[in-house]
Parts: sequence; C-alpha cells; structure tokens
Amino acid sequence: MVVKIRLARFGRKNSPFYNVVVAHARTARNSKPLEVIGTYDPIPRADPYDDSGRLHKDIKLDAIRARYWIGVGAQPTDTVWRLLSMLGIMEPKYRNTEPRIPPVLPREALPQQNSP
Amino acid sequence: MPPAAASSIIRAGAGTARCVAQPSQVPVVASFSTTASRPKFTKARRLFRAWERADGRVFRRHAGEKPSYLPSRRREDDTDKPFPLNPYFKSARVLDERAREVVWEKIMRDGETIKAVSAEFGIDIRRVAAIVRLKEVEKDWIAKNKPLAKPYAKAVLSMLPTHRINPNQSNEPFEAINELHVHPYTMQQIFWPTSESRHFTREDAAEAFHPTLLSADKRVPHPELIQMEREVEQGRPLWDASERFKQAVMESERRAAEKQVAKTIHEEKKTTRVNTERFEFRFKQFNSENVGLKGRSRSVVGWRYGTPHDDRSKGHQIKIPTSVP
Repeated sequence: MVVKIRLARFGRKNSPFYNVVVAHARTARNSKPLEVIGTYDPIPRADPYDDSGRLHKDIKLDAIRARYWIGVGAQPTDTVWRLLSMLGIMEPKYRNTEPRIPPVLPREALPQQNSP
Repeated sequence: MPPAAASSIIRAGAGTARCVAQPSQVPVVASFSTTASRPKFTKARRLFRAWERADGRVFRRHAGEKPSYLPSRRREDDTDKPFPLNPYFKSARVLDERAREVVWEKIMRDGETIKAVSAEFGIDIRRVAAIVRLKEVEKDWIAKNKPLAKPYAKAVLSMLPTHRINPNQSNEPFEAINELHVHPYTMQQIFWPTSESRHFTREDAAEAFHPTLLSADKRVPHPELIQMEREVEQGRPLWDASERFKQAVMESERRAAEKQVAKTIHEEKKTTRVNTERFEFRFKQFNSENVGLKGRSRSVVGWRYGTPHDDRSKGHQIKIPTSVP
C-alpha cells in the first residue's frame, strides 16, 4: 500500500489545526498514523507587540524524519509538498504560467466553406 | 395555546379598564401587569431616606483623600472595613499613583533592579514588574494622545485605602515579599531518624524531602537578602552590606537576562524562516522520535491520539493569560 505524508485535521470548528502525519493512503484521515512528524497551524498570526500587519504561520516539522520517509518512497500530498519544498526537501511544483494557445487543428477539422 | 392567550388578553383588557375608571389612583406602570405598584415607601426605604437626611449627610459628597466608610455600631477602628455588618471583610491597601510613579522612576530612570526595588519598598517582585509594564503602557498612551480613564481611576482609588511611598526615607513594607510557594514534595510526612548531635540544616531537610529539592533559603524570591543579613551579623557595616546586596542582585538579573537571550538564540537556531509574498512560514525543527515509552508522552508535538482533549470541559478553560509574551 502507498505510504503518504499528509495532513490530519484536528482543532475545532472554524479553528483548524493539522498534524503532519505519515500514514497508509487508504486509512481514514484522522486514524492513528504510522508516525506524526509535525504540526501545521494554517491560521496566520501576528507577533506580539508587532503592528506592522505582517503575519506568520507556525509549522513544526521533523525534517530528518521527513527526508527519511521521502527517501523510502512516501508520497507527499500537494499541500505537504508545498511545505516540504520550502525547506528544500522536495523540488517545488510550479504552476504552468505560459499563455494558453489552442492547438492547431488539421485542415479537415476546420469548418468547411460551401461554395455556391 | 389559544385558550390561555385569549384569557391573558381578556385580563389585560380588564386591567386597563380599571385604570381608566379610577384615574386618581396610582397608574399601572407596566401595561401587562395588573398589580398596581405600592403607593407608599417600604419601611426600610423610609428609614434610609431619614438617615440620608440626618446622619448620612456627610456621605453625600466624598471629601478628602481617604475613603470614608460607614462606621459600625461597635465603635471599632473602621478605617479598612467597608461593610459595617461584616467586620471580617477588610479591604486591602493598594499602591497610590505617586508610589507607582516612584517605582517606575527607580527602575526605568535610575536603572535599579526589580529585586532591589522590591526589597527596598517591600513590594512583591511580580507586582513591581507589573507596575513597570503598566506604567510603560500608560506613558505610551499619553505620548500617542490616547484618552485615559483618569476620573475612573481617581474614583476607584478614593474608595480604597492606599499605601504611600516616600522615596527619600525608609518606608514600612507594603506586603510580605518572602513568601514561599508550598512545593508538593514538602507536603509529605517523613520519619527521618538523625542523631541528636547532628546539625540538621534547611539543606538537609530539603534533601530529606527530595534529592532535587532546593532548600527554602534558595527558593525565596530574594536569596541575596539572606546573604546581606548574614554579612551584617558578621560585623560588616550596613551601607557596605547593602551595596554588596545591590551588586549581587544586579548580577543575578544580568544572569537571568543572559539566560533569556541564550534561549532565544537557541530557538532561532532551530527555526527556518521562509518569506513568501503573503506570509512568513516558520519551520521549527523538533525530534518526533521523543515520544516516551508508550508513544504517548505529554511532550509529544501535535494533537494526541486516544486521549480526551479537555479544552472545553469545566475547569480546564484557561481564560486568564498566565504569561506575558
């Protein structure tokens, strides 16, 4: 079975809090994982006595264990991938920002102009 | 419930009808109530009015700096008993505005240590620290032209006995400063046989309770005061001993500050900061394998599995912040 590095949602209604867990892919979200390797608090917070408006997010992560699990083939979900790529553990996934061009259609597929 | 509603409407109608019929009587204040309010004062209220006009006239306007409490019938000393029928309630003294200003000046302007000021005026260390913090907030507000609730502060202070501090002479202590927290290790009864000739000190007593427990002399908030008293006992002049006390206190405060800085540096070393356009992500490294024997140690990071999280049960909701960030 595939081993995944994913988030498990804890916390309360309207105040999410996540454990970063290593678990088998087909187990339930909050079931007991193989290992808890970190936490992720998605709510941005301000530093005390700081009114500059700059916010931060707190993440605790055992980078050594994360590297180990990646090394033995665990697959991070997209969200965890994003977090791990910030630490340089994974290659970042970039969005495709090239302009979308419709494919060139063959001549037969073009609308036929009926000559009178 | 149609019948009940109907009956209440009928009753209300009857009440208003009576009111209209006898306009000279006291009108019904609440339209839903059929009972007229009492036309005369109760006895207690009448007596209070009489007292207010005679003996109680002096309490109409507050004069002077001290609070004027009602005198009890026992002719005791009533300066700190606000309730004449409850002689066991005594209102505790609070530091007045000037005293708090003196404390702030000593620490922030003259650069004295919190411990030294606490020992000099007999104010708890935590209270001294709180005074400095709140004074800083007050001065910040004044600098920013924020309105202060001065009339409120004045009114509250006029209702309480206050403690005054004279900065140029020795003052009586405001409160007991060397109170010890009762450590749970010291709550047990121990049978500890020792020989009569042995000099059994506080250190020995602490060790008898637990090998890691510090003695009472070391656990008090100002252990330097004990050292000072010892030196005075040994014949050192008081001015010299107090000077040495100030130096020792300064040294202990410097060590505490160094410890704080070292802790911050250590935390910073474990943290990786990644700046994105919107937020700063702070990754803190920790050892996820420190989970205890059964994997359920209390220090494990993350939401725990298989243990109730009592954050909403009664008595577990911490509403008062217990630390200053």
